[in-house]
Amino acid sequence: MSEYFRKYIKKEHYANHYSNLKFKTSFRNCILEAFKRRLWKETDGDDWDIMWAEKEWIHEVMDHTHLQSNQKINHFRNHYELTRKDLMIKNFKRYKKNLEREGKQEEANNYNFFPLTFHLPSEYPIFFEEFKRQTNNGDTKTAWIMKPIGKSQGKGIFIFNKIQQISQWKNTLRYNQDNPQAEAYIVQKYIADPLLIGGKKFDMRIYLLCTSYQPLTLYLYRTGFARFTHHRYDNEDISNTYVHLTNVAIQKTSDNYDEKLGGKWNLQTLKLYLMTKYGQEKVAETFYNIQMLMIRSLQAVQKIIINDKHCFELYGFDILLDAQLKPWLLEVNASPSMTSNTPVDFELKCGLLDDVFTIIDLEKVLTGNEEQIGGFDLICKGTPIKLPINSTFTTYLGAFNNRQQQLKKIAKSTAIRLAQTYQESQTKAIEVGSKGQKEKEEKDKQMRSSSKGPQVMQNGVNGSIKTNNQTKQNTIIKRNTTNLPTLGTVQNKSNIKRYPLQNAGQQSQQIQQSQSNSSKKNNPNEDSMLSANQKLQKLTQESKINQFQPYKQQSQYNDVMGMGSKNLQKNEE
Amino acid sequence: MQQLDNQEILMKLKSSKQFWDIKKKIKQGFNDQQKIGVNDIQKFAQSCEIEDQLIKLISHILKKSKKRETLKEDQIEFLNTSKIKWTELLFKNLDIVHQKTKNQEEDDTNTDSKLYIYDEKNLLAFLQTFKQQQHSALYQNVQFQSNKLLNINIPLKSSQQILDKYQYLLLQEELQDEKINKIRKQIENEHLDIELEKIAQTFVPNGERCLLYLKYFEFDHQETILQQNFTKLQKECLNQLFYDELLEIDGHEISEDTFYFVFQEQILTCLKCFIRDKTIKENIRIQLQNGIKKEQTEFQLPITGFFPFKNISKYVAPLCYLSTKIHIIYALFKEFFCRYFCFLHAISSENNSILSLCMQIEEIISTHSPKLFHHLKVIGCDTLKLIIHQLVYCFVGDMDPPHILTIYDQIIGHDSLEILVILCVGFLNKYKSKLLLAKNYENVQQIFQELREDKFQELVQFAYKQ
Repeated sequence: MSEYFRKYIKKEHYANHYSNLKFKTSFRNCILEAFKRRLWKETDGDDWDIMWAEKEWIHEVMDHTHLQSNQKINHFRNHYELTRKDLMIKNFKRYKKNLEREGKQEEANNYNFFPLTFHLPSEYPIFFEEFKRQTNNGDTKTAWIMKPIGKSQGKGIFIFNKIQQISQWKNTLRYNQDNPQAEAYIVQKYIADPLLIGGKKFDMRIYLLCTSYQPLTLYLYRTGFARFTHHRYDNEDISNTYVHLTNVAIQKTSDNYDEKLGGKWNLQTLKLYLMTKYGQEKVAETFYNIQMLMIRSLQAVQKIIINDKHCFELYGFDILLDAQLKPWLLEVNASPSMTSNTPVDFELKCGLLDDVFTIIDLEKVLTGNEEQIGGFDLICKGTPIKLPINSTFTTYLGAFNNRQQQLKKIAKSTAIRLAQTYQESQTKAIEVGSKGQKEKEEKDKQMRSSSKGPQVMQNGVNGSIKTNNQTKQNTIIKRNTTNLPTLGTVQNKSNIKRYPLQNAGQQSQQIQQSQSNSSKKNNPNEDSMLSANQKLQKLTQESKINQFQPYKQQSQYNDVMGMGSKNLQKNEE
Repeated sequence: MQQLDNQEILMKLKSSKQFWDIKKKIKQGFNDQQKIGVNDIQKFAQSCEIEDQLIKLISHILKKSKKRETLKEDQIEFLNTSKIKWTELLFKNLDIVHQKTKNQEEDDTNTDSKLYIYDEKNLLAFLQTFKQQQHSALYQNVQFQSNKLLNINIPLKSSQQILDKYQYLLLQEELQDEKINKIRKQIENEHLDIELEKIAQTFVPNGERCLLYLKYFEFDHQETILQQNFTKLQKECLNQLFYDELLEIDGHEISEDTFYFVFQEQILTCLKCFIRDKTIKENIRIQLQNGIKKEQTEFQLPITGFFPFKNISKYVAPLCYLSTKIHIIYALFKEFFCRYFCFLHAISSENNSILSLCMQIEEIISTHSPKLFHHLKVIGCDTLKLIIHQLVYCFVGDMDPPHILTIYDQIIGHDSLEILVILCVGFLNKYKSKLLLAKNYENVQQIFQELREDKFQELVQFAYKQ
């Protein structure tokens, strides 16, 4: 949390103190709360440092406004290239074609995560051909889903499997242009074998933060949701939207909507479920594929989106798993809902936003090379953060969200670094000041010990602080390195650093040992109470405990859930 | 118990896949020889472990042919009479519950969700009454002082024996991926109970668990039968029973659990089928209630022979993590209940029964952590009252599903519920320092209301820590 930053970093060390920052937003939900928690001030005017605007504002105002160099805004100018259903598909198709033209067939084949899609009415003839081909092949069951372009929360969506069901819609479009219903749609082949949990369909909402398109810089949030439909899935009955659509906005209107849980699982629970059923490898692979899907989606539009240093964007990816655990991209939201329906949800979203603000770094305290900030992990910087060749697929998506501990760590290390640079700049100032004096003195007497004095002192102080800090940093920080010179090393180091997770089991074992040792010390009274015989027994048992090797399952579980690192951090604290 | 003659054994042998594998192996061994003597075969069999395999296979068949009879009478007479009393009590409760539901129908404002025939506290309270009864019968003239909540003279395993039995869990080695893959293959190819139990005792890889359970219960080639049976039961569910209402109420608690709310509907379907399943009566290992017909009562015992109790949903819930197919979830639940969980509700002197388990826990805590035991006694919150919920419901709701399934592995692995004793002891030891600071029952409740995360391995370690 940002409060750790406030706690550890001294006011004079901030490049830009938080009390000077102003925000502007028209939202009155978690966004406002998250802003307020950072102790920034709200403003109505144009003197904001950060603005959380609605999409419409961007389209209407941004082109006519000149932004100050320090101002940040939450959308890219033409984000709709990715977030409007039809444009997204168009861009994916085009990018795929380009890859094929360049001979990168393998990478082109990876763009298979969106269902067959047509734009209506413009592509109606091709769609009709495809539909006919299907029926001729005897496949009358395949359903198609119609989605109005530019509408959200599941509005206007319907599913059909007979062409007649849309011909009427087609007529209204053709003959009645003023009809509000006559808007553009996309039609998509419906994924008929989604993975069902408890007989229910679900999709995942995953958050991705893009801070720059040049170089492509992406942060993936560890926690997301699985959103369930409230009715059992039935492939035959395609008219009941409750069965098929997972949007919270739709499910809320259903009769048996459970207020308390909001019909959601967090990603960690989903991962647990999948792991017990499909095993660790399969699930790790699936989550890795999801991460790659997200990176590829943004790579496809990287050259199209107008990069702007004022802009950042938090995307909400909607992803569906089919029965083979293959992820499908349903859509990308430029302004994922930041309204909460449960207290847990509220905290999660506030935390998410807080981490976004930390990454945006209006206070200018970070180095920009941090690999994890709160619940966000850096997954792409120019190129995707690659994993070692022989490692099992791995991603932090759905891993234990250790944001609290991580922020504490990062705040501490940042405080140390800032104090150091602050001191350096101070001493420089002194040096500059003393230079003039020195020259004078040198003129008078060339060798005088008094002029040496302060310099030696300075060096001494400086040196000792540096080493001290470095050792501290080494112990406190494993993943977070400061001052990485080039991109190549970022990747290399990340490779090395992502390994430890796999050894986490071993390390947590050591911790458990040390814990058992420490608890032994804490109970001297107990010892005196035991008879000699019992003591003997205890001794033999303890020697066995020290040999303890954690259950493979436990450590596996730790690996995938990222629990190992949680324990580690506890220990470090 | 029925005896098999040689002919029958041979028949059964021929129906197992392993037998033909062995035969094939022998044939391969004597490929080019014309004449084969009995001695040759014997020598060959001994040299490549075929003999061992055959012996195991035959003993497996013999074991399977013993049909487990449902335990109806207990060797200790007063437990038999107690069971009748318990059943009478439950019939009374049923009447009260029924009355309440009637009132509720008339008065919509009064939504009392606490409608159940009995819960774990009722059960413990009933067990507690044994103390006085037996004292008066056996120790009439002896002033017998004991701090234990339950002190009944039934044959008990020594608690040290149980502790020793599960100590190997502490020494569990870290397994390499290679080893895990080996176990996977083993599960796929193995059919013998003993071998499957051995795997369950040590480590079951995620993803393979369902297969292991199905094999152990011999369901692995019966999916269509399971499905048919389940569809049949589902049809019967169309006829409403009074008990359905209770099960629905019961489902509400599970719907508040983050891990299981998704499965609420499936769980309810399973339970509705369960109370209509005629085969349970003959499969269940121990008779839970002594079904005496009462003339004037409107209701009778369900066809299963026992009343559904509070939180019965909890036994089904973790199994939902094993399969997407509801008939498989149902089959696993039924088997788990008939083989193991039934003992958690049985008034009996059996080793697995709730009575034995409770007494084991008291025994271990009172000897290994006497300070805690006394402290809890003094503040009026007996050890057993603290953990009865965890014990009766197998820690469901207290641990994450993967840990619960590890408990289930152990239950299968040892064909016993004793792992619960270890975990309960570990549980108490884990919170020992906090419990010792508690001054009254409210304090204790506060401790457990706090957010806590218990893990299987952790509790096992605590159990041996003292």
